[in-house]
Amino acid sequence: MKIVVNGLEVWYNSTPALKNVSLKVSGGEMTFVIGPNGAGKSTLLKTIASIVKPRAGVIYIDGKLISSISPKELGKIVAYVEPHISKSIPSTVLEFLLTARYPHHSTLSFTTPRQDLEAVEKVSKQLNIEHLLSRRLDQLSSGELQRVLIARALIQNPKALLLDEPAAFLDLRYRLEVLDYVSSIVKVNKVICIVAIHDLYLASLYADKIIVLDYGEVVAAGTPDEVLKEELLEKVYRVKVHIVNINGRRVVIPVEPIERISL
Amino acid sequence: MALPLYERNIKHFFISLTSFTILIVFMFVLALSLGPAMLSPHKVFQAIFLKPFGYAVDDSVNVIAMLRLSRALASLLCGASLALAGLLMQTITRNPLADPYIFGLSSTALTAIALGIILAPNLMVHKAYVVIVSFLGALTGYALTLSLSKLSGGTSLAMVLAGIAIASLFSGASHILLYVVQQVIKTPYVYLLMGSASTVLLKDLYFLAFPTIILTILSLAFFKPLNAYLYGDEYAKQLGFNPTLVRDFAASIAALLTAITIAFVGVVGFIGLAAPHIARFLTGSDHKFAIPITTLVGALLTLVADIVVKLVSMFAGAVGELPLGVVTAVIGAPFLAYLIIKKVRE
Ligand SMILES: Nc1ncnc2c1ncn2[C@@H]1O[C@H](COP(=O)(O)OP(=O)(O)O)[C@@H](O)[C@H]1O
Ligand SMILES: [Mg+2]
Repeated sequence: MKIVVNGLEVWYNSTPALKNVSLKVSGGEMTFVIGPNGAGKSTLLKTIASIVKPRAGVIYIDGKLISSISPKELGKIVAYVEPHISKSIPSTVLEFLLTARYPHHSTLSFTTPRQDLEAVEKVSKQLNIEHLLSRRLDQLSSGELQRVLIARALIQNPKALLLDEPAAFLDLRYRLEVLDYVSSIVKVNKVICIVAIHDLYLASLYADKIIVLDYGEVVAAGTPDEVLKEELLEKVYRVKVHIVNINGRRVVIPVEPIERISL
Repeated sequence: MALPLYERNIKHFFISLTSFTILIVFMFVLALSLGPAMLSPHKVFQAIFLKPFGYAVDDSVNVIAMLRLSRALASLLCGASLALAGLLMQTITRNPLADPYIFGLSSTALTAIALGIILAPNLMVHKAYVVIVSFLGALTGYALTLSLSKLSGGTSLAMVLAGIAIASLFSGASHILLYVVQQVIKTPYVYLLMGSASTVLLKDLYFLAFPTIILTILSLAFFKPLNAYLYGDEYAKQLGFNPTLVRDFAASIAALLTAITIAFVGVVGFIGLAAPHIARFLTGSDHKFAIPITTLVGALLTLVADIVVKLVSMFAGAVGELPLGVVTAVIGAPFLAYLIIKKVRE
């Protein structure tokens, strides 16, 4: 499994969001995309999931041009986990999770196969949301909802998993547990996994590869050792950082802003 | 946990399905037995069920029996259509307070019908033409609302506001036109505006029955895109469904259903708002289950409302009848109040 992005350029109306982005991501690796707010992380993931159409550039998944794959076929291959879903019409977690299986069935088929329910069962047990299945989506805490959203993507059983801010609302335990779980699934099933994340600490813990975006451009890419450098991070984030060595990994500790907001 | 839960949902669905079917059959029999002619129910049933097999029935009895039959069927079918249209509108706006008239479809459809009657009175005698004209009016309303909301950003709030604007514009126009129309068709225009099932003829019912049944089956067949659409445009997109297509498809079905009911019974409020809520409460939001139950709830509510209309006119003894929409409003208003209270509490 491999995703190759070449010369990608994305615009929203008249504002550019990605400029000449090229990268390679292989299966079985955790690739983290980092960068400040508005750098284009979500846009990159959405473009790979074909939710946003690029103005220029190509994306290949397993050698196939993404624009040549039908939307439904793509739904089997790629799952993008957005940080928000609409929950204004009341619906239960189980109803939501079952929709993840739709790309695998004919649109007009009417039955719910047993395997679908078993897939829901298995993943929801592992992510510890089994007790929430009958709960309404709008009655979940943000951390619970986040786990439900990730569970949905895993139930879809994609070849490429694109997670947008998966740790945003999770507490300490689930931050580590969820990423740990995703990372083991990625390793075992050789799934492609791209994670857009703010938390540099988590990136240093779980990333095999890191891509740094700034103003829509790739400013650095490589292994954590190559990318997580004080000079680069301070330039991109405008924050003073220390890099410490824990368990043989370079872990980033943000210390203070470079420019203080004056009173 | 997932499997037993799903099986429980299915069980709830079948319990609701059977209970509502039984209730509808019961109310249907009651509706046939009741009428201002005070005919014995016995004779009515003979005329409806035995006459096709050669049983001799008085002509006068037959006329009354057929009127009651077509009226009851019209209530059932219009109720089902309105309820389904309401469910689809709530889904595509992702707004639980939406109803079939939210995009101003009712006022544009009424305007179109009124214009049709004024311009070509002899054509509008045929129900098929009324249905078509009403549908064209409703579609125009939808297109106007959609383009207005696109101009203001295309959010679902913009859509609702645009609908209100279109509705107020055309409700004025339709009132004026309908006032003129009542000279032409010699019925008070309040019936078109507030609904009545009393004037429907049996021979016209095909134009109501077939579209209702076909459109219900069609919506049911596309339950997956509708379910995926509930969680957002981007969510639907990545499951391989085109949200714009889903929305336009569902909106046209809803517009057609609404237009047909307007052509037959006029504007009847609250059914399209209340029925989807009751159905979702009983079977959840999965359209596979919600669509059948919504249509049954809508059919039952409208039939009951029409029975109330008949009872009031029989026992209050006033001239003419109450409009159907008045009764559904009286039943529906407390329900709406309950919804608002519940929403505000959250
Ligand atoms: N739907 C949109 N319409 C217009 N501009 C957008 C839209 N989504 C994102 N943008 C803009 O594109 C840029 C990149 O956004 P995004 O990819 O969401 O950044 P990130 O996820 O890294 O915070 C930002 O400048 C943002 O304002
Ligand atoms: Mg983002």
